[in-house]
Amino acid sequence: MTSISRALLALALASAAGAPRAADPNLKTEPVKATPVTEDSSAGKALYARYCTQCHGDEGKGDGPAADFVYPRPRDFTLALYKVRSTPSGQLPTDHDLFNVISEGLPGTSMPAWNKYLSENERWQLVHYVKTFDTLGLFKDEAPKQRIAVGSPPQMTPELIVRGKELYRSKKCWECHGKDGRGDGEKADTQKDDWGFPIRPVNFTKSWRFRAGDRVEDIYRTFTTGFNGTPMPSFVDAIPAAEDRWALAAFVKSLSRPQKTGQVLRARAVETEIPSDPWARQWEEIDYLDFPLAGQIIVKPRWFKPGHDVITARALYSAQEVAILLEWDDGTHNRGERGKPADQVALQFPAEKVTADEKPYFILGNAKRPVDYWFWNAADGLRRFTAEGAQKLAPRDAGSLSAKGEYRDGQYRVILRRPRKAASEHEVEFEPGRFVPVAFHLWDGEQGEEGLKMAISSWYYLLLEPPVPSTVYLWPLLAGCFAFGGELWFMRRLRRRREVRV
Amino acid sequence: MMLRLTFWLALALYGAVYAALRLAIHPPIPASVLTIYMLLTAIAILVFVSADERRFTQFIAPLAAVFEGRAPRAARIAVLAVIPLAAAWATYVRVAPSADAPFELRVIHPEPPSSLSVHGRRVEIAGLQNPLRAKGSELDKPIREGKTIYYQNCFFCHGDALAGDGHFAQAFRPIPANFRDVGTISMLQESYVFWRVATGGAGLPKSATPWNSAMPVWQDFLTEEEIWKAILYIYAGSGSTPRTWDDEVKHDKH
Repeated sequence: MTSISRALLALALASAAGAPRAADPNLKTEPVKATPVTEDSSAGKALYARYCTQCHGDEGKGDGPAADFVYPRPRDFTLALYKVRSTPSGQLPTDHDLFNVISEGLPGTSMPAWNKYLSENERWQLVHYVKTFDTLGLFKDEAPKQRIAVGSPPQMTPELIVRGKELYRSKKCWECHGKDGRGDGEKADTQKDDWGFPIRPVNFTKSWRFRAGDRVEDIYRTFTTGFNGTPMPSFVDAIPAAEDRWALAAFVKSLSRPQKTGQVLRARAVETEIPSDPWARQWEEIDYLDFPLAGQIIVKPRWFKPGHDVITARALYSAQEVAILLEWDDGTHNRGERGKPADQVALQFPAEKVTADEKPYFILGNAKRPVDYWFWNAADGLRRFTAEGAQKLAPRDAGSLSAKGEYRDGQYRVILRRPRKAASEHEVEFEPGRFVPVAFHLWDGEQGEEGLKMAISSWYYLLLEPPVPSTVYLWPLLAGCFAFGGELWFMRRLRRRREVRV
Repeated sequence: MMLRLTFWLALALYGAVYAALRLAIHPPIPASVLTIYMLLTAIAILVFVSADERRFTQFIAPLAAVFEGRAPRAARIAVLAVIPLAAAWATYVRVAPSADAPFELRVIHPEPPSSLSVHGRRVEIAGLQNPLRAKGSELDKPIREGKTIYYQNCFFCHGDALAGDGHFAQAFRPIPANFRDVGTISMLQESYVFWRVATGGAGLPKSATPWNSAMPVWQDFLTEEEIWKAILYIYAGSGSTPRTWDDEVKHDKH
């Protein structure tokens, strides 16, 4: 952006921000807390140079050397536009708002929580220094005087959530955030922030990434303040009654599920056939595990801004088969059209008998220890490879491996299944009680991901839960009885001895 | 007074040791190691109380009271019930199938090789020094350049504050090194760090589980000088200093 258009934009924004808001009768506000630490500009400048310039740039324009390598982009401080605030829409943040963001960091971004590394005084100096980048002098002219009074949330009742759901529909939240809140609404793909960078609506099912926090109070505050500089408006005008905004917050909160991480994906035994429908009840009933993903930044070409940061898996096994259900949210359904690659997912297993002391290299193995690569693509389904390294993928016969995948309401669900018995020595055998290494790769076609431009995980384990033998209960019972018998014997002996003594 | 409370003090001490081992150590110590420590604690306590006969009598007094039927009825029932239940629970924990991931032994700082190949050139590790530091020249500029290299290549994993907690860190196991930790770069020579950076995970010996390491082979992406600059920065940025070959010589003399 040129400096002239930047200034014009800033002016337009500044005049919009000037609209009187504090008089709104629906908006309960309270006075802003006083800033406890006075400014020391040389200290703030030195701290900023050491801890912040890499992302936010020497002049606070959000253009430091790391800026192009992270998503979302670092904040540009020159327009004084801040998303996470406690003040009405369009207004400046309070000093405490800035302090809280620096201290707690922003979940789902590369902004860390600096309270681990900087003292309270140092963080306050940074608040003061960051405000000096405001080219329009907004902070100088008027500091925020009022902030939104959030109060305490009402009881989270099913009725409140139903009311929130109705508001979600009638106020068209779904246009951007999608029917089930996965950030897949019809307008989701075309959103831009005030700097002209593409921005995606948040996925409500992953509340652990909400920038402004995921308590109901936080969600309520966000509806009320809006996110300045983004397409997310304040809903004070559209939903004037505070009770209604609480209802909407309660509904949004109800869309999210807890994040569950672990090292071992446990496959549960089923007596019957494993369901082939990814939306079957049997799948919903078993526990899931979330596997964090990172950009593939290890071998060329390095990929710094992956479209996905998590994949969720569940597993079942029957007498003959093992099946893994992979789930991930994706705002766009790419099938290799519009010049963009198709969405893809892959599972990686060792291609040979697993030994306890050595695994294949976690990204596609190597010549000595190859991997068996199960690959599903939204355009043409299942393919299977043997990989002996990142550049050495050889197609192999899928054999009895099969896949079924579907995209529905912003979510992919793909089932990959195989007979438990190994058909050759180049695939692993799935036996109950044996830990089989497994890794996950995921591609978002919308971001142009294909080949090694992908999101990856490290090695985890798949474990077919062994049936619990009855001896597991028998031994403790015996041990308990034995201990009790011992006690009785001991008591009797002591008493007899006492009687003898008496 | 203390003597009369021997049994309860012993019990409290055992509990305190358990709590300290479980809660105060991060990352948590493996369960098998914990079992050994607790067994040693129990033996130590028993040796201590049985060393003195009066102390031992006091130690077993509460138990004797229970088993001889002198203790209050409620206490007797509680003890009689708790001991078999504890035995049953301990047995169950032993025999129940475990879903904990197999424990993978890993040498964290393996012995470096005598030399390594960088861009096709052999480099001897013994005596290897950071050429930028060796010059004794001004370090501000190379540190500044190292900082840019760090934030365009390393910070995704090793973190904004060099604490091994970058936004990609949780996807990798082992987790990336924390440069602020005294157990990492501050106890290593720059030559060692150069070896780890230049050859990456692939250059690790088998004992250090190279197949799990997400450390790239940096000589594929950076020049030798860039690697040395980045090393300067991780020391400067984390406020640590490298061990030097001079230290080593002094240590050997001691």
